[in-house]
Amino acid sequence: MSQPSLTLPTPGQQAGRNRRLLEILGAAAIAATFIFLVLTQPADIAGGLGSVSALVALGGFLLGAVLLIVGVLPTLPTATVVLMPVALVLNIVLGQLMGSTGLPFYLDAIGTVLIAVLAGPAAGAATGALSSIVWSFINPTVLPFAAGAALIGFLAGTAARYGLFRRFYLAPVAGFVTGIVAGVVSAPIAAFVFGGTAGAGTGAIVSAFRAMGDTLLAAITKQALISDPMDKAIVFTIAALLVYALPRRTTFQFPFVRRYNVLAGKEPAKRNA
Amino acid sequence: MAPRLNPLTTLTAAAAVLVITTAASSWAVSLTVAAGAALLAAVTGAARRVLLGAGVILAPFWLSLLVMHGLFFPEGRTVLASWGPARITAEGLGFAVDMGLRTSAFVLVLLLFSFSVRVPELVAALAAFRLPPQFGYVLASTLMLAPIIAARLEKVRQAQESRGLVVGKGFGNRLAAVRLQMVPLVLGLVHDAGVRAQALDARGFRRTGPRTTYTQVRDSEAQRGFRILAALLAAAAVAVRVAASLSGGGQA
Repeated sequence: MSQPSLTLPTPGQQAGRNRRLLEILGAAAIAATFIFLVLTQPADIAGGLGSVSALVALGGFLLGAVLLIVGVLPTLPTATVVLMPVALVLNIVLGQLMGSTGLPFYLDAIGTVLIAVLAGPAAGAATGALSSIVWSFINPTVLPFAAGAALIGFLAGTAARYGLFRRFYLAPVAGFVTGIVAGVVSAPIAAFVFGGTAGAGTGAIVSAFRAMGDTLLAAITKQALISDPMDKAIVFTIAALLVYALPRRTTFQFPFVRRYNVLAGKEPAKRNA
Repeated sequence: MAPRLNPLTTLTAAAAVLVITTAASSWAVSLTVAAGAALLAAVTGAARRVLLGAGVILAPFWLSLLVMHGLFFPEGRTVLASWGPARITAEGLGFAVDMGLRTSAFVLVLLLFSFSVRVPELVAALAAFRLPPQFGYVLASTLMLAPIIAARLEKVRQAQESRGLVVGKGFGNRLAAVRLQMVPLVLGLVHDAGVRAQALDARGFRRTGPRTTYTQVRDSEAQRGFRILAALLAAAAVAVRVAASLSGGGQA
């Protein structure tokens, strides 16, 4: 996998280039959609439902997420692909387990962050997007948030790549920053596709900002900036705790962890090194 | 339903209906689509599951919308009642009903699709559509793993309880209990995944090229035609909406 090829270029390399293109197109679709939504929102929200914005938000974000998945998935080693379903179920099960403690957070990205730390930004982004798509089989309202979930996975992987998970106190900081970005990107979806948020607590915060005369997008963005950074800081901390609880034999199986020295501590001794 | 439809046909139909509903953006259309989906669910015998699933999602959503827009809608002009900073406006209530009905249609149509589709058939159809086979694997594996993992969590809990875990009232106590269940669960799952990866690799999971599938998915000329027609209708609806919004000076 990590050894350089000794043979002539094969058609596989052309395919690899095509996949790279798909990844870039996916990221571009997500970025363009967000910029369009932010630029056009003032005219739309006063005009009623904002149907064009809803269509653009749904279409652009979903297209970007699907392109990312199709581009990234075939490049991942089997060990990572097999871990993905586990991560997706963890997103749901651990979220529910946490819900039983009565904490006011959603914590539905723990599995995504776990994969991102072990397998890198691309794998994290694909896991986030897939998580929303698979979860939508049970709860369709999470489907439009696929791009935001992909972004969380990507940022978590990038944080791991630059060693933010090597120092324990840096993981929540990375989570906090990720939460800010993810909240700002997800707010237009909540505003234009659903016209609000589902939770009682988040709804109350949005109502408070609306009462002060904010536009809907501004109110939901401010609410996201209150809830999301805290939530993601906790998620990153839990993911870091879990990664360090895993045996090193397991974590150092992942090429990403070995290559970028993601975790503190030494690689377990190799037999014939 | 004697001849089962191709999953791609139902998926295309669901997507087209959603695009047209969003483009139409009128409460009447949304209500018709939501009622139609509920009726179709009743005909196919999935009514209980679809309506129960939709109710769990939609009830808090409607409540939140009605409170949020019903009481606080600064753009509203027709004030029906007001006390303090909260005022009920006709525009706010209208907006809440519009959005609520549109989301209801969205949820009902997608739940009808996901509860009526057979996952192995969908995976086979998607693989024929040249999506990477890993996508099908993750989709099918997650939906099948969920009950297994839930059972495993139950086992971990029982094991820890037999070793003296008592979930008390205090917050720290609960957090410790969550940790005692989460760490063994995740450790076991990651270990299992490693074993599964070796087994899959030994069977050529990463090989590219055509694959044989044991699932036969029916398809017909009529269904292929219907899919193209549905896609064209959805595209037309979007085009009409965009044209109307451009000519209407940004009024969407």
